[in-house]
Amino acid sequence: MNLILILGFMLLAIGFWGMLTQKNMIKIVIGLTIAEVGVQIIMISIGYIKERTAPILDSAVPLADAVNKVVDPIPQALVLTAIVIGVAVNALILSFIIRLYKEKKSLSIDDYKEMKW
Amino acid sequence: MIKKIFSLIIIAGLLTVFIPIILNFSFQTDLPDVAKSYVEKGSKDLGAMNIVTAIIVTFRGLDTLGEVAVLFIAATGIAVLFRKNAINDKRPKQISKRDSSEILLTGIRLLAPVILIFGIYIFLNGHLSPGGGFQGGAVIATVVLLLFLSDSSYKINHKIFGFIESFSGVSYVIIGFLGLVLMGADNFLDNRILPLGEFGTILSAGAIPIIYTLVGLKVGTELASVLDNMKGDIE
Amino acid sequence: MVNIIYIIILLLGIGFLLPITEKLGKKVSNSMFFLTLTSVSVISVQWLYAFIINGQTSLQFFTAGVKPPLSINLQLGLSESVFITSINILALIGAVYLIKHFNNIGIRSHVLYLLMILGLNGLVLTRDIFNIFVFLEITGISTYALIGSDLRLKSLIASFKYMLAGGVASIFLLLGIIFLYHNTGTLNIDGMIAASPLQSGLKIAGIAIFFLFFALLIEMKQFPANGWALDVYEASNPGISGIISAAGTAAILFALYKVMPLGNDLWFNTIAVIGIITFIASNIMGIKQKNATRLLGYSSIGQLGLLLAAMGLGFLYGGINGKFQFIIFALFISHFIAKAGLFWIAGIVKKKEIKSWGVLRKSPVLLFFTGSFMFALLGFPPFPGFFGKWELVLTLANKHQFLWITAILLGSLIEAIYLIRWFGYILKEKQEENETIEQGATKYSSVFILGTILFTISGLYMIYNPITNLSFYFYPLLFIAFLFITDNILPAYIKNILSIAGLSYYGYVYFNQFSEFRFIFAVIFLAGGILTLIPGFVKKGKRVGFYPSAIIMYVGLLGLLVAKDMFSFFTAWEFMTIGSYFLIIRGKRSQPHALSYMLFSLGGAYLIMFGFALTHVFSGGNGIALDLLNSIKSNSALIFTMLAIGFLTKTAAAGLHIWLPGAHAEAESDVSPMVSAVLLKAGVFGLILIMISSLRFDAKMIIYLLGWLGAITALLGNLMASFQEDAKKLLAYSSIAQLGYILFALAIMSHIGWMAAIWYAMNHFLYKALLFLAVGAVVVKLKTHNMYEMGGLIKQMPFSFVSVLIGIIALSGVPPLSGFGGKWLLYNAFILKGWYLQGAIIAFSGVVAFLYLFKLINSIFLGPVKDNFRKVKEVSIWYLIPQYIIIIAIMVISAKPKIVLGKIGDFITSYMPDNLVVWKGDVASSYMNGKLFGVWDAPNIMIIIGIIFVTLLSWLLIMSRKAQKVEMFNIVYSAERPESPQTTHFSHNIYSHYRKALGFLALPLIVNFWSFIVDSIHSIADFVRRLYNGNGQAYIMHILGFMVIIYFVLFNGGLF
Repeated sequence: MNLILILGFMLLAIGFWGMLTQKNMIKIVIGLTIAEVGVQIIMISIGYIKERTAPILDSAVPLADAVNKVVDPIPQALVLTAIVIGVAVNALILSFIIRLYKEKKSLSIDDYKEMKW
Repeated sequence: MIKKIFSLIIIAGLLTVFIPIILNFSFQTDLPDVAKSYVEKGSKDLGAMNIVTAIIVTFRGLDTLGEVAVLFIAATGIAVLFRKNAINDKRPKQISKRDSSEILLTGIRLLAPVILIFGIYIFLNGHLSPGGGFQGGAVIATVVLLLFLSDSSYKINHKIFGFIESFSGVSYVIIGFLGLVLMGADNFLDNRILPLGEFGTILSAGAIPIIYTLVGLKVGTELASVLDNMKGDIE
Repeated sequence: MVNIIYIIILLLGIGFLLPITEKLGKKVSNSMFFLTLTSVSVISVQWLYAFIINGQTSLQFFTAGVKPPLSINLQLGLSESVFITSINILALIGAVYLIKHFNNIGIRSHVLYLLMILGLNGLVLTRDIFNIFVFLEITGISTYALIGSDLRLKSLIASFKYMLAGGVASIFLLLGIIFLYHNTGTLNIDGMIAASPLQSGLKIAGIAIFFLFFALLIEMKQFPANGWALDVYEASNPGISGIISAAGTAAILFALYKVMPLGNDLWFNTIAVIGIITFIASNIMGIKQKNATRLLGYSSIGQLGLLLAAMGLGFLYGGINGKFQFIIFALFISHFIAKAGLFWIAGIVKKKEIKSWGVLRKSPVLLFFTGSFMFALLGFPPFPGFFGKWELVLTLANKHQFLWITAILLGSLIEAIYLIRWFGYILKEKQEENETIEQGATKYSSVFILGTILFTISGLYMIYNPITNLSFYFYPLLFIAFLFITDNILPAYIKNILSIAGLSYYGYVYFNQFSEFRFIFAVIFLAGGILTLIPGFVKKGKRVGFYPSAIIMYVGLLGLLVAKDMFSFFTAWEFMTIGSYFLIIRGKRSQPHALSYMLFSLGGAYLIMFGFALTHVFSGGNGIALDLLNSIKSNSALIFTMLAIGFLTKTAAAGLHIWLPGAHAEAESDVSPMVSAVLLKAGVFGLILIMISSLRFDAKMIIYLLGWLGAITALLGNLMASFQEDAKKLLAYSSIAQLGYILFALAIMSHIGWMAAIWYAMNHFLYKALLFLAVGAVVVKLKTHNMYEMGGLIKQMPFSFVSVLIGIIALSGVPPLSGFGGKWLLYNAFILKGWYLQGAIIAFSGVVAFLYLFKLINSIFLGPVKDNFRKVKEVSIWYLIPQYIIIIAIMVISAKPKIVLGKIGDFITSYMPDNLVVWKGDVASSYMNGKLFGVWDAPNIMIIIGIIFVTLLSWLLIMSRKAQKVEMFNIVYSAERPESPQTTHFSHNIYSHYRKALGFLALPLIVNFWSFIVDSIHSIADFVRRLYNGNGQAYIMHILGFMVIIYFVLFNGGLF
């Protein structure tokens, strides 16, 4: 069934729960990453078609009948882009946390409330 | 406590948004038209065995160019955050690091070339098998990571890395641009500027292997310098 | 034409290349950087030109050699080219502004900047939905890095919060995209729209679109999920904030615009509601904000909300074409330029507190542009936002969306509160001498270029918009521009001559075009203008800022008379408001009074705009001619009330008057007569205009109430005037009362009543100008407003004394001077009408007037001289010249009132044929039921009273020889010197006993009412903004909570 989809949404919910409840900024980012993984899993599951194989036209997939043998390649292409972008953003966020830690020696998000109202 | 309750309410709210999706979801039974044309054209017109690669590098090449740009921006941003003059004024304490054990050092020196070659293999075969520039680049970067972990005195050569990074990026853009010049106004990022070659061999699929090589080099060097920056000299 | 993909190639290629050019030196890399940005701008400008001038149609650009939906395509049409041109030119100017900052950080910041611009261009151009995600991430990540690049703690925190918000938004964007793909089988936006997923009725499609829109709404920084955005605006380098606020939001707005057709009416409505809530909420919160860049952030978000609302409404009412395209572009470009400009100026000023922005006064050019940007944001003419707001209100009125109009105008008014207050601080707040602002050619020139572009676009709007009355405005605006440019060069007297000449010339050109009551007002405005400019010759130096403001005001006043359509009228009204605001705020302690003047005026102006829009709709929806006021078919009472209240803010009727005393009393001594004697009549003019129209429909009840309001205003004004110790405040309150008479007389709605009103208008102009000039000159000479510090000045200033004497005789309404005629007409009018009760109040307030008039002349000119003023001389001749011209005018019209009333009588007869005044020569008579009721024989009264006066005077003079001179006795007893001067003045607080009796009428109830309103707004603002508690985690919670709320709102609306 659509267990994969359920898994994806569960990861999303877990990720958001982490983002909302954890005080440690690194853990918040981990929450974000979990949520991102959830989305990526959902994306992949959408391209899935039962009993079909990867969209690589090697000896296993006859060229002529390829259309009926492979799963949807588009979500796979999109998810690759999404993953790379996710990695880039996470790397940048973590670097910001390192810088912030250098400035204030704290990882708690509650300690960074300089600007408000 | 109140915060927890709020969080709970919100997550519950989110679940009520998600659950109808799960309940109403039905898997595809056939490829959408666009995907069908990809499967047909990817092999026939572009000469790529790996359809995902055909989509990534050519059909949706603009996305991939953007993707490369995103990674590049992140690497640049991280370099800006950890730039020299910014770190100097903080004067971190120099901490002496214990040298790694001989076994670890030797083992990694032994492994590094193999991993490197594996990475190169992955991006060179991107049009034939699962893999490609991003994956290959990431594998290459692990070499640098291992070296950092094992050898505290290891430093990457910023000049060469920077040059490879820029050179491969610019070349990628130029290859895309060649499509415009050689083939016409609608052919930005077209891989058919080079002959398609024989289907299924390494020198096939036009410019895809070249693009993936450039992407692999760029991603590898970028991730390496990100690691280098993040490693930093933080106490 | 150059392929638009070259923009991407250039930005990306050079972005990749720049890091290795670092070795070649700063010059090489910087020139490559600028060359890239310039070429990109040139490419986009070239396309814009093709679209606008050559009428090029929309184009598609393809990639990868295959057609969409297989590949990603870019679209370039007029709207796209407008957006990318704006973005790229701003990027180029911004690069100039930021170049020093970038050079400090190093070459990587240049790279980040180029790639951010790439992302913005891509967002506008691409037609692929996943590509939107990629470009959004490019923009986002480069922005995060740029914000954090200066490594200050605040920028790092702000950027961190931004990344979390951006991360959450991306997650939902991806979810939306992938489920839309699942539903439609394509990623191409056009293909998706064609597949119309919402029509499919599938639940998943609805939720997918919900995710997509929600992600973009977060990127659009909508309330309440926008705490992170405020931090970003506050903390980043202002140069970057400016780019984010202008170009960043432009690109995201456009991206949303592209996918909007995926929604349905429920969506459009929801988006518009979210937008308007954001607009109002962030403006309210802005009121409490003291930090300059954060305040600009609130304003940015507010403007974004307005744009979003306009876009939602556009889609709701027939799509973004024609009218809505015009509206959104006008609103967009004002925000775009003005917000970038203000942020950049903030980067030059480098003062956190808005109260410390007074340093801007050191640079008149920057000051000028700051004002221009702020007024552009508020939608004043001649800036594009003005045209946009007008069209928006008119269009919404056509759709009968009155609640929307109210919300938009309310939000704009709230925005005005903090922007105008801020500008007031800039103009007036005390500043330490040694404070300086940053110097540096790059930053200054960027702001300068941006300002020039703003004015160029505004000029184009004025010229090419078919509804502006260009033939009237062209030369005056040119003249004003000339005055601005030469403001720091020419001495005051030359500008004064030029201004008087300009006014006279325009009077000469337009004089014979005015007829009937317009002619009377033309005399008041033009003669008033010239007379009140004459004292300006006293001023030495340059008097920077005075002449442009005065001319703007007078152009506005004349524009009111020239206007044939409601738009021109409203434009003129706004010009008048701006000009008078700048005149009023020139006074030393004027800042708070100018603010309240501006807010009341603006509130009134919005009511007028609303009223005009309703007039347009309820007269049949054809055109905007001013005469349509006469053919309103329904809702006439409502329209009449709106317009009346709008005009009454200008005439300062009781309840709306609290701005006047301060504004008039604290103004410079030659400005007071301008704003009192001349400006107030603009409101009277408007009232006359709508009251004539009211003859065609039923507004009797309201007019009856206006009569009462006039009577009460008259009484309260006079009472308050009697209790004043400040000479100019006394005159100001007297103006309120006089305008009350006029309102009362107009409300009688009879021939003789209107004669009285016109006569009062003319006379109030004359004697209030006379009194304000005379008293103002004395006040300047003595350097005090307080009457108890004056006294016995009759010998030192005999000419001023005569002026004041004539003035108070005329004002009090005793024969033989003109005021008597006013009273005669007025008393006749209300008796003939049968308004005895109101009439009694009027008559009683006439008696009260004697109190303050006596006090005025008595305390200033009679009695013992104060020691410190023994050597004071007569005031300057430049003040006396206009006074004596006015005195002559008073004498002439007192003897020959038909000069004023003759022609106007015929005009009024054509509307109101009852209670006629019959003229025989200069003798006027009134009739009740056919019987002779009253006679006013002005010439003979003049002669008789003149003879009596001369006789008495000569007798007095003869007698005075025998009079004994009494030396001043020393009132300082036993070596004790009273510290406060009041106690030693004979007429200080002389009416205290009246105060005991009638003081309850003068209780500050109205002032209290308005301060209650102000306090409430402040506490609401303070309460709501607690939401932004500074915690990044709370902001994530806001985003997710916001999402759940919208979901349930839409769920209830039946979307899913």
